[in-house]
Amino acid sequence: MGVEAAVLPGMAVPERRRIPGNKGIWVGISCELVEFTVMFVIYFVARAHYPEAFHEGAARLSRLAGTGITLLMVTSSYFVARSVLAIRAGRRRASLLWLASGMAVALGYPVAKALEVGWNLAHGIDGSSGIFFTVYYYLTFNHLVHASWGILGMGWVLARSLAGAYTAEDHAGLEALASYWHATDIIWLVLFPLFYVLA
Amino acid sequence: MDTVTTHPAAATRAWLALVILTLVSLGLGEWFPAATWLPLLVAAIVWVKGCLVARCFIESQVAHPFIARGLRFFIAFAPMALVATAYFGDHLARWTALGLR
Repeated sequence: MGVEAAVLPGMAVPERRRIPGNKGIWVGISCELVEFTVMFVIYFVARAHYPEAFHEGAARLSRLAGTGITLLMVTSSYFVARSVLAIRAGRRRASLLWLASGMAVALGYPVAKALEVGWNLAHGIDGSSGIFFTVYYYLTFNHLVHASWGILGMGWVLARSLAGAYTAEDHAGLEALASYWHATDIIWLVLFPLFYVLA
Repeated sequence: MDTVTTHPAAATRAWLALVILTLVSLGLGEWFPAATWLPLLVAAIVWVKGCLVARCFIESQVAHPFIARGLRFFIAFAPMALVATAYFGDHLARWTALGLR
């Protein structure tokens, strides 16, 4: 494949635009992004109709839980990104350790969510507490489901890494998992201010 | 064909920026809950954080155009909708009432 575009000296330009991971995972990620776009439409329509309920509702949620989940997601995402960079550099052991760290941190998300739901119930907040909380449970539980798939995928990729399946030349599976996890991270970065910041 | 575009130090800087922006937006919500400019600033922070993950972790700038455009749209959608709802909420509510209210 030839280089068709002019390249300025010192500029690193790829030979062609690439697909991170593989096509299959991007079909899944595209579906995920479309699904959450629709759910965001639901959020904003509900917010436009019931602005007071959304102002009051956000103030009742645990900001500690929301912040904790956000820090877990961005840190786990960073560790997984470092795992990809390490395998590209041919450092398989480092890649494995970054990935294991990413999964350990990611597992903190369902734990934090369980604690948050317990805290909510202790404070009388459930799905029938009003429009804000219905939307909050709908979107955040959906995100938890998607994150759970990501954590399961991380376990599979970790097992494959342990078996020495990935090399500097061939690590599409690891990169596919990383792409899915980063997309799931972006979705949470949108959810966080919508439910925990804008009181 | 792999083109390494992200340096580990750049990924670390992106992570630090994500942590700092998270804490800044939390502080803004805590200290200025009623400020009229809060939704605008929060929307900007969401957009910057999304762009950081897309560029430094997914490397969208060297990804296939469909992927790059899809991510750009998704990252911009919620911040724009947030600004629209915050400043034109009444209009949005009217347009989406479907005659039910």
